[in-house]
Amino acid sequence: MGTTCRRQVARMKSLWGQAWMGLGLALIAASPSHGATQGAQASSEHTTVSLVAELEWVQPGEPFWVGLRLEMDEHWHTYWRNPGDAGLATRIRWTLPEGLEAGPLVWPRPERMPAGPLMSYGYEGETLLLTEITPTVPISGDSVRLQARVDWLECKEACLPGRAELHLDLPVRAATPRPAAAAEPLFREARRRLPVPAEGWQQAMSTTADGSIVLDLLPPEGTPPLPDGVYFFPMEAEVVEHAAPQRLLRAGGGYRLEVPAAANAVVPDTLRGVLVAGHDDDAVALRIDAAPAATATAAAATPPPPDSTLSLPLALAFSFLGGLILNLMPCVLPVLSLKVMALVKHGGESPARRLQHGLAYTAGVLSFFWILAGLLLALRAGGEQIGWGFQLQSPAFVAFLAALFCLISLNLFGVFEVGASLTRAGGIEAGSGLASSFWTGALATIAATPCTAPFMGSALGYALGQPPATSLLVFTLLGLGMAFPYLLLSRFEGLLRFVPRPGPWMASFKQLMGFVMMAAVVALVWLFGRQAGVNGMSLLLASLLVIGLATWLYGRGEAPGKTPRTRLASGVAAALLLLVGLGLSQAAAAAPPAGGVAEPSAEEGPWEPFSPGRLAELRAEGRPVFIDFTADWCLTCQVNHHVAFGSGRVFERMEQEGIVALRADWTQRDDRITAALASYGRQGVPLYVLHGPGPDSRPRLLPEVISEQVVLDAIDELAPPAGSS
Amino acid sequence: MKRLSMPVVALGLASALALTPTPSRASAVVGEAAPAFSLSDNEGHTHSLADFAGKIVVLEWTNFQCPFVGKHYGSGHMQKLQKEYTGKGVIWLSINSSAPGKQGYFPAEKLDALIKERHAAPTAYLLDSDGTVGRLYGAKATPHMFVVDKTGRVVYAGGIDDTPSTDQADIATAKNYVAAALDEVLAGKPVTKATSAPYGCSVKYAD
Repeated sequence: MGTTCRRQVARMKSLWGQAWMGLGLALIAASPSHGATQGAQASSEHTTVSLVAELEWVQPGEPFWVGLRLEMDEHWHTYWRNPGDAGLATRIRWTLPEGLEAGPLVWPRPERMPAGPLMSYGYEGETLLLTEITPTVPISGDSVRLQARVDWLECKEACLPGRAELHLDLPVRAATPRPAAAAEPLFREARRRLPVPAEGWQQAMSTTADGSIVLDLLPPEGTPPLPDGVYFFPMEAEVVEHAAPQRLLRAGGGYRLEVPAAANAVVPDTLRGVLVAGHDDDAVALRIDAAPAATATAAAATPPPPDSTLSLPLALAFSFLGGLILNLMPCVLPVLSLKVMALVKHGGESPARRLQHGLAYTAGVLSFFWILAGLLLALRAGGEQIGWGFQLQSPAFVAFLAALFCLISLNLFGVFEVGASLTRAGGIEAGSGLASSFWTGALATIAATPCTAPFMGSALGYALGQPPATSLLVFTLLGLGMAFPYLLLSRFEGLLRFVPRPGPWMASFKQLMGFVMMAAVVALVWLFGRQAGVNGMSLLLASLLVIGLATWLYGRGEAPGKTPRTRLASGVAAALLLLVGLGLSQAAAAAPPAGGVAEPSAEEGPWEPFSPGRLAELRAEGRPVFIDFTADWCLTCQVNHHVAFGSGRVFERMEQEGIVALRADWTQRDDRITAALASYGRQGVPLYVLHGPGPDSRPRLLPEVISEQVVLDAIDELAPPAGSS
Repeated sequence: MKRLSMPVVALGLASALALTPTPSRASAVVGEAAPAFSLSDNEGHTHSLADFAGKIVVLEWTNFQCPFVGKHYGSGHMQKLQKEYTGKGVIWLSINSSAPGKQGYFPAEKLDALIKERHAAPTAYLLDSDGTVGRLYGAKATPHMFVVDKTGRVVYAGGIDDTPSTDQADIATAKNYVAAALDEVLAGKPVTKATSAPYGCSVKYAD
């Protein structure tokens, strides 16, 4: 009993924590259940070993897991598969009934055990080494006996070899096995500690002239940054100098770990091992399998990272909601409202026909979301460091959007009507064909791109960190959300009763919407100006002027009472002018920014430009940091700035608390910012991050829509006001 | 590849800037000259590596209380190797780097008794209580074996054989790397297996 008590005390202090403690008691209390002889156990001087089955019985044909449990006295340890400078890996040799095969030992992540100038890798407290048993032929009989010979080395200062012959009897039943209650927490804890495959991580190994081995790692986007305390456990001995300090560099979202090679290193073809970052419950353990840099390929399929910040159902819900909200954005609202008015006008159509329109519109929205998503994914697969909103980092696309929006507003003003022949090209309300509805959906999607609605940031961030199929699902939900209101209206005629009856108001409304669209043009031109400078912006405005002239000419030509000749002449002239205008807009985009080039936002406030180095520096000093990830083309960001920072109270408060304000301006493509966003699990702006004081504090992510109060509250939570207890 | 190459270049530059010379870790490196040393044995005689210039030298890190050392002495296998190769003119130096107060450390007179009791037959049993020579060679485990050829170069560094265990029964089936290296060096051939991972107890250096 004395030993048991001592073990309990030892276990309380062990890293395995209280779960083990409770479990230890539970095991003592547990009586063998369902005929399973729970782990015949054996003890050496300082270690108790036992076999533990995860399930209560064996189901014929089904593989199952068995654990070798090692419980060490306080300060005694057993070893990992690479024991380090000295020691011996625990070994198990199975004797199994015919038809059962044991897999290799599966090891939870080890701990470091330094001793003077030497380093060992192993386990203190207790551990569970896992083995999968696979049936190769049908099992006969109603029970199986698993026998194992276990050899281990237990060490504190001195080492003692241990050996045990263990057996475990398990019943065989046809029913699906139940997890063994007592074993469940053991397996859960062991599995939590298993290194996970570094899927999607790019890994490369190289050696330096001075005899160091260098491991370069690049996580897939959306991977949270590794916690501090990064250490590489090599799988093989005599590769790296186990006891030597390992130097970690974090840059550009990637990691470089430099480890002195062992004196007589046999540098392997691939560097295999386990990378552990962080401590205790927060630790991350990745399986490393790094080929030499020269042969490292970009074969980075990106399956899901093990811990995403968002679950799939939640991400899907957010994308649907985000899609819904998109309908209210100034760039989409005019398009949608006119489509709804068309629905009112064509009230006479059969319900089936109306539904077809709704479906065609939905198809248009979805197709273009898929095209955009596909483009984004393809570019990323090709190695581009881009996130959502990437379209707006291209001046050419911004110029195109400005021209398109300008055309739409001129159409709304009534400068020109789109002839029946042109319906397919995007006539908003004129067409009654299904193609028209499809293209309206497409147009709405393109128009929506400058407006990243709230909720979309996290959903898209999630989407891009996922396998392509999941990403597409998120984009699909986004499209469905956007198409949903119109689809609903087209299906349920009753809802149209909320729309006023057709009448002269519609013409006025149309023109009003033209102004809304013009406002979007102003925003785009401003954005373009920040990218291309004042000359480029002037060129774009000139191109819009020419486009306006073209549409007017065309409108005049189509007016009633004109001869076919006039119509043709004005049509041709309009087409030529339109070409010139569009050409000018693209020339504007291609022009080198000269004069009045985009400077970082000169908005007032204590902003320092963001750089990963500056952030690391401040964090190392333990200073609290507020980071504003923003871009000029992000409408939500601009509004947030005004709402939250306009009065200056936030800045005063930041100064009081010694918070350093960093601004990461993503208006133009910046891979460092893309990587920094990814490190917080995001792919787009806005993002507001508050790092508390102290190098170890966890960053706090603020909502995407912020107010002064939201920011002040977040700062309050960081530092309780003086005087409070 | 592009995605990887960019941060890698950035990292490369960053590391080039941040790079401070890594302190060179003392170690006996295969193919290089064996570091010179001088130690007293249990009888008070001083031995220098230089004394054995022109001879093949085996260095055996040892600790009589370590179960891995116990495996090789308990079976008589280590003594057999010592006798066989010293008989062929090889110098065999057992080195004890256990610090005072640590496992395997004994005063000289107690060591005399232990060596006799085990019928150990090295050329000399050297005391390295402050661990200087152990660290100089990068000795990690007991046993950790080094073979130095007639020109003073290290030609083998690593474990005694290919079967890490404390089980004497494994000796019969294990491939003994030290014997193989010695046979090759004695025959004037290059050593086929020049390095391996040592296995055993950690050398009990002072903390």
